[in-house]
Amino acid sequence: MAEPRIEFHDVGKSFGRLWALRQVNCSFMPGEVVMLIGPNASGKTTLIKCLLGLVHPTEGSIHMSGMAIGRDPSYRTAIGYMPQISQFPATLTIAQLLDMMADVRGLAPGEPDDGLVETLGLSPQMDKRLATLSGGTKQKVSAVLALRTRPQVLVMDEPTAGLDPVSASLVLEQAVALRNAGGTVLITSHLMEEVEAMADRVAYLEEGRLRFLLPVQEILARTDAKRLSQALPRLLEDRQLHVPAT
Amino acid sequence: MNATPNPVTLSASKRNHPYPTPNPVTLSKPAPSRAEGSKRNSQPSTCQRQAGPQPPTSNLTKVFKYTLIDLARNRFVLGYAVLLMILTQGLFMLEDDAMKALLSLVQVVLALVPLITVIFTVVYFYDIQEFTQLLAVQPITRRAILAGQLAALTAALLMAQAIGLGLPLLVHSPSPAALVLSLSGSGLVLVFTAIGALIALAQREKARGVGMALVVWLLFVLVYDAVLLWLMFAFSDYPIEPFIIPFAGLNPIDLARILVMLEIDLSAMMGYSGAIYRNFFGSGMGMLVAGLILLLWVGLPVFTAFRVFRNKDL
Repeated sequence: MAEPRIEFHDVGKSFGRLWALRQVNCSFMPGEVVMLIGPNASGKTTLIKCLLGLVHPTEGSIHMSGMAIGRDPSYRTAIGYMPQISQFPATLTIAQLLDMMADVRGLAPGEPDDGLVETLGLSPQMDKRLATLSGGTKQKVSAVLALRTRPQVLVMDEPTAGLDPVSASLVLEQAVALRNAGGTVLITSHLMEEVEAMADRVAYLEEGRLRFLLPVQEILARTDAKRLSQALPRLLEDRQLHVPAT
Repeated sequence: MNATPNPVTLSASKRNHPYPTPNPVTLSKPAPSRAEGSKRNSQPSTCQRQAGPQPPTSNLTKVFKYTLIDLARNRFVLGYAVLLMILTQGLFMLEDDAMKALLSLVQVVLALVPLITVIFTVVYFYDIQEFTQLLAVQPITRRAILAGQLAALTAALLMAQAIGLGLPLLVHSPSPAALVLSLSGSGLVLVFTAIGALIALAQREKARGVGMALVVWLLFVLVYDAVLLWLMFAFSDYPIEPFIIPFAGLNPIDLARILVMLEIDLSAMMGYSGAIYRNFFGSGMGMLVAGLILLLWVGLPVFTAFRVFRNKDL
């Protein structure tokens, strides 16, 4: 059996008195898409920020490919991240931004896979300043940045928010393709259709606690439902439910 | 209408997709050089096999370069340069005596430069918050990110000042006093960029950060002078000389003013304290101490800003 790519051991995070995450234990495998869902302020974004090193856990540890992540940033070479809100330096052009990020990752010109630039229709806009782009176009740029290095781990925070249907579909297809090639994909989403379409497993967070991390098929089977949107409320009715996350 | 692709299509897409295998990365391996990167170019699927973190200085330079490109086109920076040029040029055109114009300019520079620098630094750091987040998820240290951004911001403001203030001074009054004014202005840019960065990093809310920057500026420009004046009157019967010099060091703007006034030889205008300042800061040792105090005013906020940024949840 494959080793987990990402492991959370008793991870907790408090902001002052408020605990955004409590005793999160879970692991994510290579070749799977895990959708992180839960109500607003349930800790989804904090969880992925802990993995990305943006937020320092108050307790517990996170391992990637068997190694504990700390302040050494080298593990992030293997991570692609698409944030919920994309803001870039206003006067840089798309081309300059892509060059900068390739530069920061130590890639030679031509090394990153920029086929996605073409696919998402960004080619004619490469010399446009980022301040002049619409929110959706900025999201496309963000998607290119996250996917172009073909990372082992792809983290997407509400990736389709603000994207047009075609672009949203293209971005999600790329994520699925990455999963099929052995990557680990973590996505936060509020859209049940999106979750149902993509997820291999679903992680549900509530008040900072991981209530369950289950394969989609198991959720459907347990609740005798055909759709996740029907299954989740039934599953959550069982207040005792706290499935150990593996 | 939902944008989500057909569930069946996506679920079924576990078939072999023409997508290259994700780059396997050995976490502990050192960064490859660019030349090595080029050699690997023929194997795109493994292009990152040996990719790792770049040396901090190298990443610092990259962040510096692109931040400076961004700032070079920033309207505020360009506007700052133009404003300084109009003010400097205008004062020299209005006054027949270049020294009088220089004196007026001292007051303008010592009030305006800290205000614009601290406010712009605070606003800029808030504006690039999301981008800083994006940089922080790259294999790059936070130290390199902050150092690159801070260096670029300082360089941009110094360049704007060199164009807006330095050039007209060179044309109208190429004197040691003008040089000291330029250098003092540059020193203030360094100090208030550092203070602005610290405020922006320590305070999460933009409005509060800007408010705090204004308060800091008011403290240095108005409140400090008022307190100093009150203290000198209140304790005029006591020997306060030993306290005047250290007190000057508490305000970088006042320190800069003293240095310029001494160079223009108008310390007499500063009365009793002017004589004390002349005795101390007029000497080589005094200048050295003044320089060191200004360095401290830069170093302390920068050091604290790095500590805050290192532990900050972004």
